Amino acid sequence: MPSAKAGRSPWFVRLVQGQGLLLAIFLFGFILFLLTPDFLTKTNIINLFFQATILAVFALGMTFVILTAGIDLSVGSVAALTSVLSMGVIVKSGLPPVVGVLIGLLVGVAIGALNGLAVAKLGISALIATLASLAAASGGAFAYSNGSNIAPVPNALTDITRAEVWDIPILIPVVLVFAVFAHLILTRTSFGRGLYAVGGNPEAAKLAGIRVDRVKILAYTICGFTAALAGLMLTARLGSGSPRAGDGVELTAIAAVVIGGTSLFGGQGDIKGSMFGVLLISMVSNAVNLLGVPSAYDQIVQGGVIFTAATLDIYRNRYIERTMSRRARRRGEPPEEGSEADLPGDSEPAGATQALQEER
Amino acid sequence: MIAVDAAEASPPVAAHLEASGVVKRFPGVVALDGVTLSLHGGEVHCLVGENGAGKSTLIKILSGLYAPDEGTVSLDGLPLRSNAADARAAGIVTIHQEHNLVPDLSVAENVMLGIWGERFGLVSQARLRVQAKRALEVVAPDIPVGVPARSLSAAEGQLVEVARAVAQDAKVVIMDEPTTALADQDVDRLFRLVRDLRGRGLALLYVSHKLDEVFALADRITVMRDGRVVASGEASEFDQRGVVRAMVGEDVELYVPRDHTPGDPVLEVKGLRREGVLDPIDLTVRAGEIVGLAGLVGAGRTELARCIFGAEPPDGGEVFLDGKLLKLKSPADAIQAGIGLVPEERKQEGLVELLNVRENIGLALLDRLARWGVLRRADERHTAETLVEQLDIRTPGVETAVASLSGGNQQKVVLARWLARRPRLLILDEPTKGVDVGAKAEIHRLVEELARTGVAVLLISSELPELLALSDRVAVMREGSLVAVLDRSEATKETVMFHAAESSETGGSAHA
Repeated sequence: MPSAKAGRSPWFVRLVQGQGLLLAIFLFGFILFLLTPDFLTKTNIINLFFQATILAVFALGMTFVILTAGIDLSVGSVAALTSVLSMGVIVKSGLPPVVGVLIGLLVGVAIGALNGLAVAKLGISALIATLASLAAASGGAFAYSNGSNIAPVPNALTDITRAEVWDIPILIPVVLVFAVFAHLILTRTSFGRGLYAVGGNPEAAKLAGIRVDRVKILAYTICGFTAALAGLMLTARLGSGSPRAGDGVELTAIAAVVIGGTSLFGGQGDIKGSMFGVLLISMVSNAVNLLGVPSAYDQIVQGGVIFTAATLDIYRNRYIERTMSRRARRRGEPPEEGSEADLPGDSEPAGATQALQEER
Repeated sequence: MIAVDAAEASPPVAAHLEASGVVKRFPGVVALDGVTLSLHGGEVHCLVGENGAGKSTLIKILSGLYAPDEGTVSLDGLPLRSNAADARAAGIVTIHQEHNLVPDLSVAENVMLGIWGERFGLVSQARLRVQAKRALEVVAPDIPVGVPARSLSAAEGQLVEVARAVAQDAKVVIMDEPTTALADQDVDRLFRLVRDLRGRGLALLYVSHKLDEVFALADRITVMRDGRVVASGEASEFDQRGVVRAMVGEDVELYVPRDHTPGDPVLEVKGLRREGVLDPIDLTVRAGEIVGLAGLVGAGRTELARCIFGAEPPDGGEVFLDGKLLKLKSPADAIQAGIGLVPEERKQEGLVELLNVRENIGLALLDRLARWGVLRRADERHTAETLVEQLDIRTPGVETAVASLSGGNQQKVVLARWLARRPRLLILDEPTKGVDVGAKAEIHRLVEELARTGVAVLLISSELPELLALSDRVAVMREGSLVAVLDRSEATKETVMFHAAESSETGGSAHA
């Protein structure tokens, strides 16, 4: 048997992908710097990271869900519901801020768990299940607040978001710590390993004794929690509990995660990528701000970025498949009987069937 | 069953596909090293070799998917360009292991796939059907042309592919492990078809590692090893042992005889049933015993295994492991109780292909590898490395993507997962399916070693020689019932097939 040189494992491929993104970030940054020197000022960089923190928290939870080959559309309205409920409890009912915050987080966890139950136990598609909670939570937020903002946000909360160490808002290192924690959960715990297995091949995961339902429910619950947390951060920044907080953020969060290399088909991706994705998207908004472009254009550019990300996702999968079969082919044989994914000539029947199967 | 071979008379033009001196290099390896092979019309040429011998690369070159680095491929003396469309237009059709049917198109549309004969982008359904019917008439007249391909069985799907080859006026048909997914009676039908196509003057290249098939069909046999042709000639010049020796380059003990006395019952199945799938089933497997589960495809063997393992809920009955009643709620519970399952479809059910070798081996062991939910990575790596060495899994390392391993080594990874857990009962569902001869012998040895250490083994296999050689007892299933349990002494190919295939009309004579 011809022995191949030690093949590189797919994490390397993912690293290349991650570095590619880093490259894009530096390139984009450089262009911005050429367009406006304001970009590379300390104030702007800190501002950029500060603006990115909220999206980062959304993206953390979203990464867990997308790794299971799921999706959570409800995060924006969960943030809104958390925002008005916690402020309502504090301002209208006069309870201590801690109670309001806890209730807000609890609501996020509960909706996340419900999403997970609907997906794992009832077998509703993630898109539909979380679309339903998007509608319900958003409606709840408007009903509770009568459509108006609830103010004032207690100082305890605004103080946290405004706190700084060495001129750096404390939220930046705090969110970084969250990210490291999420990264460790994914890479160092049996739950994390289960998450990748469930996303990669749910049937194999089940037959290896992984409790697929629990893993999925936990993933959605985590996503609900981070959405609520992000909702509270938004509230503090807006200075009021708003039923419009987090409006439309779900798509941005999903885009950030996918740009970061987490596959919508599940089973591959990581936190580091998601954080780079968040940074890139935040840079788009930042650029639009700096260059004085009307904010509507922000949306257009974001659309373009999402489209690019989705295309990248497909090419990345092809690339991984190709490297795998190339590696296998070095041994003179396809990796497994019939895995013809690398055949040229997509127009032939093989390609068509393959595509259909991949659409799941 | 014997079908009269159609028209043995030689056809007007006998195709002649010739590959000579073909060299194909991939980075780091020479996949084909000067391979010469010729196919003649009216002849079945069998190509055998272990995984990694270069068969697939050769097929891809013959069908125009790869360009050879050196050497030529010619059809009837004309050189072929390395282009899949050209090869097909020239009449070379390849039928792959996995079916290339579009599930939601009709049988007719699948038969005529790509040769719809559209005019201005419009396809005439009527003409399509007529042409599809004509092609199917030759291959499988009983398959209706109107139904969607999704509703076909694996065997029927394959016949549709063969019909496609007929519809395209193929001169050369290449079949790559065509019987992998077929039950015995379907294999017979396929054989008749292959002989029929031969009678029509087609040149057939039949690639298989099942030697029984090779000797049943071949006019000519070519054996490949390490990218070279190591033996080639008339089928009559070969015997099975000679072919195996040529394939692996040494003598391999295919089956090692073994004797031992089984211990206490480990698995006791009592009245286990599942509506419409399993009639109440009683079965016992003892410590150190290998019980083979024989039956035709669809007899309910996999379903029985999945019920015991908790992967499918039974409608009644009890399963005991070491005398303790099992919950049968989920595989996780079964694994906790001490059961392991090597599933039939290693790609769909066994492996997580996005994970590496280490992660796949550790997958059923997460609860033991973790403390308060945190994995002990050193333990995991150590476990994986030990098993890779013990099972001789050929991989550059434990961090290698599992998808890049050969079929046999992937199967060993799934086995390693269970060895790591040391189960009381290991259920193996077709453990050597799609695995080459060398790896097969190693898997057999492993299964026997497991039994020797007191593990109870329930072995499902559609390969009777394997089942008979390994099993202490053979339980036979038919249409969801356990119809006979045969001791090693009474289990022969004939007795097992008698019970497995006996039709309900002639039933009643079972002496179970």
